[in-house]
Amino acid sequence: MSRGSISRFQVVTVAVALLIAVFIVMVLIGVVTHSPLPVLIESLLSEEIRFAIRLSIITSVISTLLCILIAVPVAYALARYTFPGKTVVNMLMDIPMALPPLVAGVGLLLFFGVSPIGKSLAAAGLTFVFTPLGIIMAQFFVNLPYMLRVTRSTFQGVNPRYEHVAKTLGCTDAQAFWRVTLPMSFNGLLAGSVITWSKGIGEFGAALMLAGATRMKTETLPLSLFLNMSTGKLEYAISAATILIVISIISLYVFERYSGTAHVY
Amino acid sequence: MLIIESLSKNLGEFALTGVSLSVADGEYFIVLGPTGAGKTILLETIAGIYTPDAGRILLNDRDITDVPAKDRNIGMVYQDYMLFPHLTVEANIGFGLKSRRADSAFIQKKVQESAELLNISHLLHRYPGTLSGGEQQRAAIARALVMEPDALLLDEPLSALDVRTRENLRAELARIHKATGTTIIHITHNFEEVFDLADRVAIMRGGDVVQVGTPEEIFRRPNSDFVAGFVGMENLFSGTGAPDGTVTVGDVHIRVDESVTGAVSVAIRPEEILISKAPLPKNGKNVFCGRIESARPNGGLVRVLVDAGIPFRVTLTRQGFEEVGIAPGDTVYLAFGPSAAHAYPSGAPEEA
Repeated sequence: MSRGSISRFQVVTVAVALLIAVFIVMVLIGVVTHSPLPVLIESLLSEEIRFAIRLSIITSVISTLLCILIAVPVAYALARYTFPGKTVVNMLMDIPMALPPLVAGVGLLLFFGVSPIGKSLAAAGLTFVFTPLGIIMAQFFVNLPYMLRVTRSTFQGVNPRYEHVAKTLGCTDAQAFWRVTLPMSFNGLLAGSVITWSKGIGEFGAALMLAGATRMKTETLPLSLFLNMSTGKLEYAISAATILIVISIISLYVFERYSGTAHVY
Repeated sequence: MLIIESLSKNLGEFALTGVSLSVADGEYFIVLGPTGAGKTILLETIAGIYTPDAGRILLNDRDITDVPAKDRNIGMVYQDYMLFPHLTVEANIGFGLKSRRADSAFIQKKVQESAELLNISHLLHRYPGTLSGGEQQRAAIARALVMEPDALLLDEPLSALDVRTRENLRAELARIHKATGTTIIHITHNFEEVFDLADRVAIMRGGDVVQVGTPEEIFRRPNSDFVAGFVGMENLFSGTGAPDGTVTVGDVHIRVDESVTGAVSVAIRPEEILISKAPLPKNGKNVFCGRIESARPNGGLVRVLVDAGIPFRVTLTRQGFEEVGIAPGDTVYLAFGPSAAHAYPSGAPEEA
């Protein structure tokens, strides 16, 4: 770049960018440094926060696995096949993402609480309302579209001719998918899973509606943050927030690292 | 023997409309056509990727129209290699044998043989991403050949390569064909590949086959303006044919190879026309006098445009051009034998 050609426009745009970056860092640092380190460590080791960490990890891992399990076949169908109603299905899949999580939560609450299907599920022992199972369902419902989008674009990025060649080399459709498309999509699926998991661990609105916020029962990290903030136990709230910040940053890094290479093929 | 009977397939963007071909055992068959002629769909339909809308495919007397790709034993190689990037070259070549559940010692032996045939034994442990284009294409061919296919389909196998690699691999393809005797169908839009490789050629246009023949037939005796234009018949005139073997184009009478009466087209290759400053003897040839309009260097060749009542395009080597010592504006004589002027009935007018 030649010197002496820095326009005022350039200065203004770059300055705005730098200011907002500083603002974001300050907000995060403010949370992390609010409690002195010994207090932070003590709260992290408290029974309540340990329960929240454990519950968060269990529910988010299960909901992420469910998202993968459903997103892979759906994304493949949407990426490769044409079928009647495909456009509508494509659109429907994105709705939960556009919906405020609280609204999704109300919908789930009504479905599992009062609809005949929800009632028969409860009768069969699958109770979603005000249980950890509800947390998993809420995370699954809200995050499936994210997993689906990443997976769909990953599959679309794999040239179908790889599958064509695999078929001339003795593969059925399913074998071509299993031996070629899936391994070639590994990075994309990894990136999608990480972002889905990270969003699952932070899921609040829908989980609050469906599973409620019961201390030591449905208390995940975000719910713990909410409960402790409203009861004035600031140090507990801060420790939950700190963990959520760390998880977000790590998963964002992993996502950027692997999603970029998802389309090399 | 591969027989294709009135095969049709419409994929919207590209289509086949009633294609019929037959390819003999061990034949090297080239399908030539411009981009968008439906060449790739033809191969993919033969391979079993698409089910045809109509028509039949017979391979060695077996109707394979509805047989899935995996059971056809037809190999396919694409222009952009399509090597599986997550597998080594060795695993790529062994991929198909693994599908057949061959035991690993057998796979290893076969992979080794196939790699040797293609001169890529030293690359077996590498991943495709680290290979050059030519090496990747060799690996892709080895992967198809190791299955000992009844037919090998090559979709523009040389088009993505640089000139030098392309020439090497073209020679390799001829050698491999000779060594294995595999029936090969090779599609391309580059007619240079035809002379080195093809036993027979089909010309495709708009989803249909317009002419089939030996390279010599296609290049010297095209049956339509489209084929003539496509194979480089730069002199293409429409005129009226008389029973005495002449065709009248404007004021010019051209003696042609065989007499065709009525509305005809005459095609003459630009390199078959002799050019001279001194008058040329007739000796049964076509001799015309004209004026040089332009002389344009093009690589090692010079393209000369001569107005002799009708515009003739003549191609000379650079050396030949300098020996004749001509320049634009000069009066020159043109000569070509009747056998160099191919006449055929002109169909509906169409752009070449």
